[in-house]
Amino acid sequence: MMKTVSRFAFQLGIKIALNANFAVKKAGRYFLLNEALKKVVAKDFYYAGTYLGKVKNGKFFPSFSLLAMLARGEANKIVVEKKAAWLFICGRDVLRKGILSVRGSRKKGSHTLVFNEFGECLGFGKIIGRLDEVAKKNEVVVRNISDIGDFLRREA
Amino acid sequence: MSGKEFFVDRYRQLGWKFYNFQPRQAIRINVTNNKGKNLKERLQAVGVQLENIPFLETGYWVRNSKVSVGATAEYLLGLYSIQEAAAQIPATLFTGLKGKTVLDACAAPGGKTVQLADLMRNTGVLVALDLMKQRLAALSNHLERCHVSNAIVYNLDARRASSLKLKFDRILLDVPCSGNFVGDREWFKRRTIADVRRNAKLQKEILTEAAKCLFDDGEIVYSTCSLEPEENEVNMDWALNHLNLQIKEVDCYGQKGLTEVFGSRLDVSVELCRRIWPSETQGFFVCKLKKAISK
Repeated sequence: MMKTVSRFAFQLGIKIALNANFAVKKAGRYFLLNEALKKVVAKDFYYAGTYLGKVKNGKFFPSFSLLAMLARGEANKIVVEKKAAWLFICGRDVLRKGILSVRGSRKKGSHTLVFNEFGECLGFGKIIGRLDEVAKKNEVVVRNISDIGDFLRREA
Repeated sequence: MSGKEFFVDRYRQLGWKFYNFQPRQAIRINVTNNKGKNLKERLQAVGVQLENIPFLETGYWVRNSKVSVGATAEYLLGLYSIQEAAAQIPATLFTGLKGKTVLDACAAPGGKTVQLADLMRNTGVLVALDLMKQRLAALSNHLERCHVSNAIVYNLDARRASSLKLKFDRILLDVPCSGNFVGDREWFKRRTIADVRRNAKLQKEILTEAAKCLFDDGEIVYSTCSLEPEENEVNMDWALNHLNLQIKEVDCYGQKGLTEVFGSRLDVSVELCRRIWPSETQGFFVCKLKKAISK
């Protein structure tokens, strides 16, 4: 279970070591407990501790709690300006002109976290274009994979 | 025994004159997620004007908004929750929540669960129960959005809470109730006194189970959004007489609990409860209970 999470983190250019003793799986969903929760949790829980993500059809879908955890480390990240941040939350891709700064990998195919100007993680995407000045301003450079607007889309 | 006339007459007998009322939208700041953020200014920048709710430390009324407050980036980041003003009161009545083992016995959709986690600063253990499995998805989304990390959720009837074999320092009983007419145009058409009595019975059963799971020095906060005394003061009077509980004074918004209900006299300590008739908030009732000290 932890391998799945570590593999996902690696795609974002970060190594994480979660304690497997505190990780639990329930109906394809992964959770990370702390000591206090581990002592009292019963087998038939529905949700517990920090939700890490779920596996569906063999694919891992990270939670926003996991992304927030990874965001505190040295993961690949781009910081986008206000309008680009809003469009990203609405499910749109990131254009070159919306990027304020880049940290970590610029390689096509890498995954990167997407931050707003307040340093908050809005989701993540896949680098599909050049992140440097060479790219055209209106060129899509990061494809949206997951964003916090998902909380609204889940309810719809 | 139902209909608007019937219920309005009951309210008149209890000392309140009915009038139609629309509640104000309110939000609550999640303090744990707001370190170093300037939420009020950020919301103002996107066209949301807030006004302090005088009786709540972290609650604000939405005075005016150009956007949906349930769809801002700040909301999606868990910096605040949308929570009706009176509904923000119960969780604030507990003493010292940090590091405690807390039960939210009827938790979904999770507004108060997230508030408890926030007041606990994500420490201790927060157990959240709900009987309706289909409501747990909304609860889980709420926990994830607000980055709650100290909660365990079970699909469990509050009347079976003792099956968890845990004792709790604090128990929130925001029990299923008949609700009230504020924000529900059909309320008077749908509700009968039989519903009220059925809910009152269920609430007593939940109270009984909660008392079993409470540490001797623990606290229960009981709340409903019902205006019907059978679900409120009368149930508290029953708890005093049957569950070895006593009512504690609370310092919060609202009027004293009723000690005379349709000709019946209740224990004088029932006035320590708080009854909130609809005015700036929806109708609400809240009471803090502790185990009576055995002599």
